[in-house]
Amino acid sequence: MRARARIARKVPGAIPVFALGLVVIAALGGDWLAPYDPGAQDLANTAMPPSGAHWLGTDDLGRDVLSRLVSGARIALLGPAVVAIGVAVLATVIGLLAGYRGGWVDSAIMRGVDLVYAVPPLLVAIVVVGVFGGGYPLAIGVLIALSVPADVRMVRSAVLAQRNLAYVESARTVGVGRGRILFTHLLPNVLPTVVANLLLTFVSALVGLAALAFLGLGVGTGAPDWGRMLAENKGMLDLNPAAMAAPAVLITVVAASVTLIGDRVYDRMAARGRDVGRA
Amino acid sequence: MLDVRELTVHDGRSRPLVRGVSFSVGPGETVGLVGESGSGKSLTARALVSLLPPGLRAGGSALLAGKELVGAKGLRGVRGHAVSLLMQDPFTMLNPLTTIGTHILESLPGRGSRAEVLRRLAEVGITDPAVAARFPFQLSGGMRQRVALAAALAKDPGLLIADEPTTALDVTTQAEVLALLRRLQVERQMGLVLITHDLRVARSACDRVLVMYAGALVESAPSGELDKPAHPYTSGLLRSVPSATHRQPVLLGIPGSVPAAADVADRCPFADRCTWVEDACTDHAPPLVDLGDRSTACRRHDEIDLGHVGDDDVDPTVRVAVGDTLLDVVDVVKTYRSTGFRPTSFTALEGVSLHVTEGESLAVVGESGSGKTTLARTVLGLTDATEGRITLGGVDVTSYRRLRKAQRAQARRLVQCVFQDPYSSLNPAHTIGYALTEALRQRTATDLATEVDELLDLVGLPTSYAKRLPAALSGGQRQRVAIARALAVRPRLLVCDEPVAALDVSVQAQVLEVLRKANRELGIALLFITHDLAVARQVTDRVVVMHRGRIVEHGPTAEVLDAPTHPYTARLVASIPGTAPRTGGETHVAQ
Repeated sequence: MRARARIARKVPGAIPVFALGLVVIAALGGDWLAPYDPGAQDLANTAMPPSGAHWLGTDDLGRDVLSRLVSGARIALLGPAVVAIGVAVLATVIGLLAGYRGGWVDSAIMRGVDLVYAVPPLLVAIVVVGVFGGGYPLAIGVLIALSVPADVRMVRSAVLAQRNLAYVESARTVGVGRGRILFTHLLPNVLPTVVANLLLTFVSALVGLAALAFLGLGVGTGAPDWGRMLAENKGMLDLNPAAMAAPAVLITVVAASVTLIGDRVYDRMAARGRDVGRA
Repeated sequence: MLDVRELTVHDGRSRPLVRGVSFSVGPGETVGLVGESGSGKSLTARALVSLLPPGLRAGGSALLAGKELVGAKGLRGVRGHAVSLLMQDPFTMLNPLTTIGTHILESLPGRGSRAEVLRRLAEVGITDPAVAARFPFQLSGGMRQRVALAAALAKDPGLLIADEPTTALDVTTQAEVLALLRRLQVERQMGLVLITHDLRVARSACDRVLVMYAGALVESAPSGELDKPAHPYTSGLLRSVPSATHRQPVLLGIPGSVPAAADVADRCPFADRCTWVEDACTDHAPPLVDLGDRSTACRRHDEIDLGHVGDDDVDPTVRVAVGDTLLDVVDVVKTYRSTGFRPTSFTALEGVSLHVTEGESLAVVGESGSGKTTLARTVLGLTDATEGRITLGGVDVTSYRRLRKAQRAQARRLVQCVFQDPYSSLNPAHTIGYALTEALRQRTATDLATEVDELLDLVGLPTSYAKRLPAALSGGQRQRVAIARALAVRPRLLVCDEPVAALDVSVQAQVLEVLRKANRELGIALLFITHDLAVARQVTDRVVVMHRGRIVEHGPTAEVLDAPTHPYTARLVASIPGTAPRTGGETHVAQ
């Protein structure tokens, strides 16, 4: 975390925001922004290198690579966003409960977490999605289930650090109920951790979903998906290298941008309400 | 021997943190550097040994036996040999993976021998040779501070700077360490700069006391003449300290709080809190005026009469509690058990019985580990007693968890608490108004906004503070908010767990006055937990003394402190740093 924060400080703040902004515009504009229909085949012009008409060339069915990239931006952001938000909500509720209740509730939750933690996530995702027919919702669900444990641990330890502080005990003695203590006292103070984690989960889900799509799982055939484009276009690396390089670069840029932004957001949120003079 | 001239410390943005401090220390002399947090006393000390935090720069001059310390390179031959630093926290100061013997050995000049190590340990009062083979975690705080002292003295420095060496220790240990410092210093004819926030410690242990405030030196006086202060701040500070020998009618604090040094760089730093302030005081920084054997930075020192501190009125009222018993604690035992491979258990309370009458104020005094905080937590229902019974207002509250919901709510309304650490007792995410409103809702109060204003008014804070976040408040202000929150529920018992231990002296007085007002005027009973006997005397009518989980003595506060009967209480009372200069046991050594 600290090494990344040091790098983050050296990259001017605007670059990741600008890069992510472009992708978000593409996601919102979608097919309307794309110069060609992303599904339209032009069998006379297959595997063309970049040109004035096709800035990033065409793939082996003559489809415009740039249009497919722009069109794929929506699903590239939406899928990981659903995973990240789902994980954050589930992990926060479960983590708050485990950390504050303690006792057998905590033990039960944490043993379950350990169990899921012990399995390699991507491998399980490949098997499950592969066996059950590889629907996109299933891929998302599996990724959520496998990412929750790590966040539960994080939220739980943040709660453990807070729960014995005097302000929580004061609230208890004043007579504030358990639910209110959890959601109005503890939640705001573990929120920086949750938000920073949300963005990290987004990154790992982006890469995870791209990997599944690369293996032909998750997204349907023919859909303009960055991971699937990597797989489809790897055969024509010598004819139009841009067709494979462009989605790879995009996935990397989005992942790096979100990570850098996440670090900054965490620093901002963690600094708010803290004392300057006291460590 | 040490001659400091116009020493300054600036931060990275060239804002002054310490401005123009001058003093000198002779061989065999003890100089006390006294000040509240933010006064710059520790920075001054660290500048002398070039151990300033990164980003800070020192200016001016400090000559130690003719050698310049400020800005000097290659201090290896000076640090440790000529000047040594003893730090505050004995718990983090020693390397946990290194034995005591190795600590001393590596500090000794040249190739030290085992015999020399043992001799050095014996010098600081550790005569058991087995200690040399032990690790720091096996020793108590007082023992560690002795080891650190032996290491600091290993190269026989001519000057020792001790930065709050006894603050983290219990009163009885503090007295021992101070006496030890004093003895070594006289034996070695060593100069000693003792940095402390506690005026009583400085007066009893030092020859001369320098008072610092917001980065500036405001007064310098022989410790014997400190009771006739020449600066309004010193006077205010002295009057803010409660006394263990009598109760003052009103404890006069100093209004306001300590400013940042950079904000008062070109004016009298104390002007905003001073009763005698006039326009000229804020025109420029007043210089230190020499008055013979003392000096002051007050430009009106010859016009104002600060009087003689110590002959103030005594509050003679003895209040005997009559009324119903509010809290009744009977034979409470609390045992902590660890489960696992090798189960261990620790008994924090070994059968404690006490009672608090309506409107009474009861002190629970004792050193760390005596079980006083555990007692507070069982009364508050934050932890359950292992055995015994606790009754509160007629309801058996031994286990809050087993109470029915209505009964629990009733008990919660009867008792409230104020904790020690003002920095963690307010939720950093919510405003002051939010915290107070939440507490008021538990009582189903109707006019929330008005009541919030009334509460802030009650504890002496401006009503505009309701919109602020805790981060914008000082420690004393936060503690007053915490008291306001507790009072919002209109409890009949307020449990205070060391409510002023983390506060500066001038602020401590304000908080104690708020608590006394709650007790006297609102009739709320206090269960006041403290290690400070003087604070107990000021605030409470009755006292129980705890030692290792048991109550060893109880009775009216005045009687117990004036004529203790249990040997432990007698030792506690004897360990209070004297209000009279330089008295008590080993410290009284002829020069």
